[in-house]
Amino acid sequence: MHGWQNGASGLFLRTTILGLSATTAFAVFEAWPRRLPRWLQRWALQVVAVGVFMPVTTFVIYMLSTPEGAPPFWETPSRMDGWTHLTFAGLLLAPWTALAAIVRQKEAFARDQELAFALERSELERQALDARLHLLQAQVAPHFLFNTLANVQALVDAGSPQASAVLRSLTAYLRAAVPVLHESAATIDRELQLVRPYLELMQMRMPDRLAYAMSVDPTALNVRCPPTMVLTLVENAVRHGIDPSEEGGRIDVDVKRLGERCVVRVTDTGAGLQQSASGLGTGLTTLRERLQLIFGDAAQLRLTSGAQRGVAVEIDLPAHT
Amino acid sequence: MKPDATALIADDEPLLRDALRRQLAEVWPELDIVAEARNGREAVRLFDERHPDICFLDVHMPGLSGVDAANHIGRRAHLVFVTAYDHYAVQAFTQGALDYLLKPVEQARLADTVSRLKARLQSSRPAINTELLLQQLSEQLAKLQGGGGKTDVLRWIRAQAGKTVRLIAIDDVDYLRSDAKYTIVAWRDGGKPAEAVVRTPLKELLEQLDAEQFAQVHRSVVVNLRAISHVKRHDNETAEIHVKGRDDVLPVSRNYLHLFRQM
Repeated sequence: MHGWQNGASGLFLRTTILGLSATTAFAVFEAWPRRLPRWLQRWALQVVAVGVFMPVTTFVIYMLSTPEGAPPFWETPSRMDGWTHLTFAGLLLAPWTALAAIVRQKEAFARDQELAFALERSELERQALDARLHLLQAQVAPHFLFNTLANVQALVDAGSPQASAVLRSLTAYLRAAVPVLHESAATIDRELQLVRPYLELMQMRMPDRLAYAMSVDPTALNVRCPPTMVLTLVENAVRHGIDPSEEGGRIDVDVKRLGERCVVRVTDTGAGLQQSASGLGTGLTTLRERLQLIFGDAAQLRLTSGAQRGVAVEIDLPAHT
Repeated sequence: MKPDATALIADDEPLLRDALRRQLAEVWPELDIVAEARNGREAVRLFDERHPDICFLDVHMPGLSGVDAANHIGRRAHLVFVTAYDHYAVQAFTQGALDYLLKPVEQARLADTVSRLKARLQSSRPAINTELLLQQLSEQLAKLQGGGGKTDVLRWIRAQAGKTVRLIAIDDVDYLRSDAKYTIVAWRDGGKPAEAVVRTPLKELLEQLDAEQFAQVHRSVVVNLRAISHVKRHDNETAEIHVKGRDDVLPVSRNYLHLFRQM
């Protein structure tokens, strides 16, 4: 028990025990209790705990180091002085050290998170790029282009006055489609500049099988959306609804603004899911993923189908302008 | 002298039917176009009625495709396929020495085809045997139209809701649970927990699901691994799964416990 009482080794031992107790307090309250009341921050609890441990531990040290039969340390002025000094020093230093440790910890955690976020972001960017490439292929699909050109050729050869109108639609479509592929955001207005000539061209090609109507709320025109969002819906309706059906059908494009929301709905009366089971969804799945990347749960893509014919696809997204 | 040759044109786009008829009139004025069809089924019907010598068939048509129609016609007529752009089809045509035209149809190319057809008709050589070739071709086209072979994995689940069918994206599904005759789909409708019922048995659905994302954890439960909040283990070699944002607890039976051993 001698080493407890005086000399350099005694002081060293006391300080070490004090330091250990501070570390213990810090570590224990880092995880315990598992749930804290809302008004109590964990870092505050840790700092206070370290502060409280200082006088308590010093007290215990001095109690234990008092030889048997000797009066308690607070009755010996020199030992009382020692206790006061140690407690005071501990109180002065320990909470600040704890605080510094917490700050470092937080920084390391933030760095970790930042790295994780950067990783996730690059993954999302890659996905978005993939989606855009996918679109590029779908959009200016050679099949669509050559078929349309064959129609233009037919009209020109026949000397039909319709030829110039069709060429105008094709030009409008290409003008709108080509820059869109490089952009990361579009507006409903811009989408409709793509959808209108597309439907015009398709109707020219299938006059007996395709009818369409568009109803657009003018207040929705400047709502922002991912590029080719509306076109994908319309294209899907043509490709999987009208195209496989011998008798064709009708496509309705309906854009509404409901306060802070914008609802885009494309309905067709075409083949329905029964007939074109397999192909459906590739374009829509990609679109759904893109919406998820941009809006998270704030945007929804809903797909419903009539029992016999027709499919309705609805996108409900926040009306950001 | 043989009577003039007869032909059928099948294309779902009326302008293109007109164009081909006009172009043929220029390079082969004697050819009698006896029928125009708007789809594969009509082509087959009109062929059976009129028995033309030559059939110009658009590859891509609603209902029956041009290749399907060709299958029906077989060797009873000389076939010429017409397509806008179909890399694979063109490849197959070339390999099988089948006649084909690319849209927009070039006059010079059409003239070539016409002189070949005339030679064949003159020598009254039977049309080449195309049966096997067409079979392969139609399979190939069906695969292409099915989305390029990416259809093995289920992307949407169809759930009946009254008279309409709701399609649930597979990523929105939290878990599937079999219940007597049905399968219950627990999913997220715009983030909110929802449930739907489908008739497809769980086992059948499981076969179509992406094994990276969905795991069977119990005889009657398949869970989306991304929807798991945590797994609680019990002493008696079982465990329970807690699902994010739901109060539901799913059982894990002994056979599937190894999925959740700690790394």
